[in-house]
Order: sequence, then C-alpha cells, then structure tokens
Amino acid sequence: MDALSGLAMGFSVMLTPANLYYCFLGSLIGTMVGVLPGLGPLAALALLLPVTFTLSPIAGLAMLAAIFYGAMYGGSTTSILVNIPGEAASVITCLDGHQMALQGRAGAALGMAALGSFIAGTLSLVVLTFFAPALAAIAIRFGPPENFGLMALGLVCTLFMITGSKLKGLLMIALGFLLSSVGMDMVNGNERFTFGVTNLTAGVELLAVVIGLFGISEILLNVERIVQNTLVAERIKKLLPTWSDWKASFAPILRGSGLGFILGIVPGGGPITASFMSYAMERRIAREPERFGKGAIEGVAGPESANNAAVAGSMIPLLSLGIPSNPITALLLGALIIQGIQPGPLFITQRPDLFWGVVAAMYIGNVMLLVLNLPLIGLWVQMLRIPYRFLFPIIVLLAMVGTYSANKNVFDIWVMLGFGVLGWLLRKLEYDIAPFVLAFVLAPLLEQSLRQSMTMSVDGAMILFQRPVSAGLVAASLFLLVLMVIRQFKTKRGDS
Amino acid sequence: MVERLLNLFWILLGSGGAWHAWTLGLRGPSGPESGLFPFIASCAIACLGLALMATRRSAAGNPQWPDAGSGLRAAGVALGIALMAFGMDRIGFVAAAAIAMPVLLRTIDRASWLETVLLTAGAIAAIVLIFGRLLGMPLPRGPWGW
Repeated sequence: MDALSGLAMGFSVMLTPANLYYCFLGSLIGTMVGVLPGLGPLAALALLLPVTFTLSPIAGLAMLAAIFYGAMYGGSTTSILVNIPGEAASVITCLDGHQMALQGRAGAALGMAALGSFIAGTLSLVVLTFFAPALAAIAIRFGPPENFGLMALGLVCTLFMITGSKLKGLLMIALGFLLSSVGMDMVNGNERFTFGVTNLTAGVELLAVVIGLFGISEILLNVERIVQNTLVAERIKKLLPTWSDWKASFAPILRGSGLGFILGIVPGGGPITASFMSYAMERRIAREPERFGKGAIEGVAGPESANNAAVAGSMIPLLSLGIPSNPITALLLGALIIQGIQPGPLFITQRPDLFWGVVAAMYIGNVMLLVLNLPLIGLWVQMLRIPYRFLFPIIVLLAMVGTYSANKNVFDIWVMLGFGVLGWLLRKLEYDIAPFVLAFVLAPLLEQSLRQSMTMSVDGAMILFQRPVSAGLVAASLFLLVLMVIRQFKTKRGDS
Repeated sequence: MVERLLNLFWILLGSGGAWHAWTLGLRGPSGPESGLFPFIASCAIACLGLALMATRRSAAGNPQWPDAGSGLRAAGVALGIALMAFGMDRIGFVAAAAIAMPVLLRTIDRASWLETVLLTAGAIAAIVLIFGRLLGMPLPRGPWGW
C-alpha cells in the first residue's frame, strides 16, 4: 500500500463521529493541560490513559496523540500571558513572548505561536506520512536478534537523554529494568520478586507507576508552593500577525520545523530540546541578536514551531520501529501494549487501519487545535483564573480513579502513592526520572527478544553478530556507548 | 543526610535484588534464565548506589525541603490518597471520595467549608457521571449499593 492510499484509508477510519469526538476531546484536554501550569503532558497522558481502555484502539490513540501535541500548542499561552511555562517545551517562549505581551503585542505573539505550530505540525506530518512506511518496509525483515539490536540501541540512546547526573540517570535505568522484571516470567512461568504477593504476579502496573512518578509527585511538589497567576492582558486583540510579523517569522518557522522534526526522531531529543535549540539557532543567525529577550517575534515563532514538529518526528521511531524516543512516546507505547497491540516493523502491515488512522488523526487534530487556539483564546485566558486549590484535589481524584480502573484493584492505588512519594523525593534530589519510564517499557521487550534469539541459536549469543542487521545495530549501540563514556571522561577532565 | 540514606537504600536494594535473582538461576541450557536480567540490573543498582555514596559530584546542589506549612500540604495530599485507597473497597468510591476530598481541599489551601462541600459534591458527581456512566467504568460500590 502506498502512502497516499494508506492516508486515504486513515481518513476513512478517522472520519466517524466517535473518532472525531475523541480527537477533539484530546485536543481540548491537551490545550487545557498546556495552558494550566503545574500539570505537564506526561502527567496528563498518564492520568487519562485508563480512559482510553474503554475506547477502540484508534479512538484511544487519537485522543492520546492529540493530548501530546495539544499541550505543545497550549503551553505558549501561559508563557506569553503569565510568564510561567504551561509545560517544559514552552519555557523558552517566556523570554520573548512575555516581553511582546508587556509591549501590548500579546495577540501577535499568541497568533504567531499558534500559526507557527500549525505550519510546523503539518509539514512534519507530511514527512512522517512518507518516511515512516519506508522505514518500516526495511524493518519488516527483522527477527528476534534484530529486535534485540533495535531495543539495545533504543536503550543506549536513552543514556543521551539523561539530564543532570549521569550516575543517577543510569541508576534510574537500572531501577526501571529491575521493576519491569517483577511478576511472572513469560518464558517459563517462574515468579520473580513477588514474595508471595498475589497482586504482584502480573507485574507492577505501568499506569500506577507513571501516574505516581509523574502525576502525584508533580502535585506534591506544586502544593508546596501555591502561586497566583498574574495575567498581563485581560482581553486579547489582533491575533492575526501583520505582514512584517510574517516576514520576520517565516524562515524561523521553516527552520524550527526541520530542526524539531529531526530532534523528534533522535532518541533523547523531543520537544523540549527542539525548542531550546531552535531559540539558540535563531539568536545565533539573527542580524540583531540583541533584540532577543526583548520581544523578538522570531523567538516565539521558531521554538513554538520546533516543539510541534518534534511531536510528529517522535512518532516515526514509535510507529515504525516500536522504539519510544522520549517518555511521552514510551507512555504511548505502553498504551498500545495494554490494548494488545505491539508497535514495531510489522505494525504498518498488520494494522494499517491503526497506523494510518493515527497519522490521519494527527492531521485532523492539527486543524482542530488551530481552531481551538485562536478563536477560543479568551476561554483559555479565563481558565488561568481558576485557583490551584480547586484544581489539585480534582486531579488527585482523577489520578485515583484512573489508576484503579486499570485492574479494578485498590493495590494499584497504594503502588501509585508509593511511587508518588518516591518521585517527589527523587525530583528533590535531582534525579532525572524520565529514563526510568523508557527502561521500564523497553526492558521486557529487550529481554524477550534476547531469550528468543538464544533459543533459536546454535552458537549462543553469537547469533547477534552473525546476522548483518543485528550485528550493525549492536555495533552501533556499542559505538554510542563508547562515545558517551569518552564524552563523559572529557567533560570530567575539563572540569578538573 | 537524606541523600546518603537514599544511596544506602540503593545499595541494599541492589544487593537484595541480586541475591534473589541468583536464586532464580542465571543461565540454563537454552540461554538466559529468569534471574539473569534482574541480576544485572540489581548489581548495577548496588554499584551505582556505592558510586553515589563515594562521590560528592553527583549530590543534589541544594534540595529545597518543605517548611512546616508546605510540608503539611504535601502530607495532606498523601493522606487524602491513603484514605481513598483504604476506603474505596470498604465503603465505595462515593463515600471514600466524600471523606478524602475535604481533607485535600482543606489542607492544600484552606478552602472555606462552603467551597469544600460544593466542590466535593461537584467533583464526585462529575466523576461518577463521566467515568461511571458515560465511559462505563465500574467504580467500587459500598455496602449500601453506591
């Protein structure tokens, strides 16, 4: 099936009232999550994951993907109007976006952020449409050894994602590995680390872990300091950018789209890195770099385009290879696995309706978000007035219902609470908890593919080096590992 | 102090995990056994815990621990969740949430009693309606059937 007929099929799958409704709901929730500081897209996705279990896989995925890029759209609103980033990828937008708002140009900043996001999102979706199937066509010939190589590469790439102390990041990866092994061993039925607790036989519930680590810990951190929002502009006027705004922003939007898309594909990249790098690039190549930080529209257009393009980019390794490149796509991978779907090289051929449906949902969601973000800006501004003390208890209640709904088991709520407190402590002590989720999701797949490879091999582990693709992937993993060690060693020497 | 205790916890967790994984078996006739992967992960945790304990480079710069007021708010959230977890199976979702929500609302930012009652009723009704009815998600019921 070629890309265009696949896309046509995706639209035919998506264009039903129910699927459109859930895509719209995801866009709405995503924008809301982006607008409200204190709840990131990862926590929101974790909280809403259980809702999708009752939906069809396509409706659930469309909704989750819409939350992801909806948050990227919505995050700029708070950055521009309140100078507090709604989510991490919009931190950099505070610099020039808020300055524009102080100068009475909040409308232009918000308009350019939304239009730039739309253009970048659409451009990167076009590339995704043609690139992901091509990649999957190569990967379709993969067996267990190649899958092991792929997972190993994904895991090594996770090392590059670690922010802060590498030792702490590595420990998080090892902890993710260890906790993923709790429960019954699928190969021989042995129980591992269950210690006779029946509730642990099926393993530690992914939902309880992510809702606890990201959702509850974030709430615990936020309730420590209740901040009041100070809106710069009550009424937003002139949302459509002027001709001179367009002239200044067109090239940054295109550059942000390209950069964001590439960084989205690279494991460890993603929207946050993309927005920061886009800002740095725009500032470096600007004729008057001193304008940056004082209300330069390029400082809004570039990063906001980059973070949206990164969303589409990060879908490529997920949908075509089954490798998550950031914690949010790791959660999407978890959602697929819970639904009984294994994304990977065979995903496009086995479930073309789902693959192309998700791609079509992203095109549709992109248009919905433009409609939601420009005419409804007044609504989002009003939402910023809701006091935190009213929001947090409702979010906590949602977290509990969500966690409970996965297995209808209260034990999972205790697990969620435990991981919430652990996440709070780890974040206080500057641990990067994102690699934990990636390792927790990837480790069982890695272990399974290695054990399958060994079972089919007559030369033991040598099978990984006897097949060219797996040998190449394992070699690439080792090369990246050595590269990281050298880089770390050089940094250490430079410091001392 | 807290960080050193956590590092000690990693060492103990890693050592205990490695020992348990060893008892599961590391290698069998057809390759890795159930214990191999958790053994490697546990050893890594113990070694990294030791490394963190030995070096000061990776220690958190200046962790901001909560003062009495903010600590109480965070503890209130944890207590609210614990109350819900304890009560949901015994008295049902509605009754457990009716107890836990006021704890959350009153500890987070001292909501007035009127706000507390209205928000508790509104939030519970919305969740029962959206999750219980619209999405068909069975919420636990108490001995009185709701």
